[in-house]
Amino acid sequence: MEKFAKAFPSSPLQAKTAKPWALAGVVGSGNLEVLLEVGGRPSDRMECHVETSIPGYKASWLAALADFAHNYPAGGTKVTINDQGAPPVLVNLRLRQAYDHLIKSNK
Amino acid sequence: MTRGPLFHEQTARQRIAALVDPGSFDELLPPPDRITSPYLGQLGIPVSFDDGVVIGRAKIGGKKIYLAAQVGQFVGGAVGEIHGAKLTGLFKAAARDRLPCVVVIESGGVRLHEGSAGEIAIAETMRAIFECRARKVPTIAVIGTDIGAYGGMGILSTCCDFRVMSEHGRLGISGPIVIEKWMGKKAYDSSNRALVWKTSGGKTKYLLGDADALVHDTADAVRDAIAKLLGKSSAVTLKSVKTRQKELARRLKRFGETADPDAVWKGMGVRDIARASLASGPEFAAIARRGK
Repeated sequence: MEKFAKAFPSSPLQAKTAKPWALAGVVGSGNLEVLLEVGGRPSDRMECHVETSIPGYKASWLAALADFAHNYPAGGTKVTINDQGAPPVLVNLRLRQAYDHLIKSNK
Repeated sequence: MTRGPLFHEQTARQRIAALVDPGSFDELLPPPDRITSPYLGQLGIPVSFDDGVVIGRAKIGGKKIYLAAQVGQFVGGAVGEIHGAKLTGLFKAAARDRLPCVVVIESGGVRLHEGSAGEIAIAETMRAIFECRARKVPTIAVIGTDIGAYGGMGILSTCCDFRVMSEHGRLGISGPIVIEKWMGKKAYDSSNRALVWKTSGGKTKYLLGDADALVHDTADAVRDAIAKLLGKSSAVTLKSVKTRQKELARRLKRFGETADPDAVWKGMGVRDIARASLASGPEFAAIARRGK
């Protein structure tokens, strides 16, 4: 197991959300779950907490998260991840799904 | 015949969203509460925010219910301490509020990493189910995925008033691989999917009366079956238990020695095995009924 946390610069979340959180994915082999919550501080940072069963890939994780924080206005959100060996492309997909659910708040 | 997502391919949260009235689901102990397993982390296994079961209040056809759905992808939907406590609490709340309780099962039973805690949790949940039944509160188990209901969850499902199954669902106590390990591959070949589904699958369970409804593999079909059962309950009395015991003894006498699952289908009134094998849900039920 490896655990780490870091906040990334990101422009503030634009839309008002109906629900304070969104979840995407499940903890299964080669998969992960992403919990995205609003109300994090400061409003120009995306706060990330990662717990993964596969140690040694911190650099890839930080790159994937920084990339997402750069591309989406996710400032003021808190991302918590439980991972069971998901590839980086899936990490990005789940982040986008969670973000989508949060913004649309229909799930 | 069927369109849209298949029930057995959906995740627990997608199943809930598809089963209940839109927007009516109110999750209890949602992911932000982070009530996770205290054991898995120590073993180097990642935890999940809902510990593999989503529980809450909802409405089906305007009727209030309590609802749980297990997450099969997370350690096989297995029941750990937190997971089990959530199920126990849900059935207790159902008994207290006299509201029907539905559990969508997708589990191999107790989570071995949390052995005793999981076993106790399942026993406590069964007790809570019998509390519901004593108060005539309907309890319904839905078994519609390949993981099915095995071990403690298999037993738990049979404690409920009713079981709704699809042909994908499987119901049993020891899983196929466990049976093969103990009895040998000649006695039971767990890689023979036809054999496995013909002995523990939804169709066979429906024929034998262990499942009360056999439905298509869609959330709509499952919801319709649940809606029909919401107002009903069956009391557990000494008489009903004795009647059931006699039924089971008769079944053992009739089929206990046979090694051919088709003989069980024929014995239960299915004349055209090939046609019945291809039929799904209600069509299969109709063929079986005509045979009788």
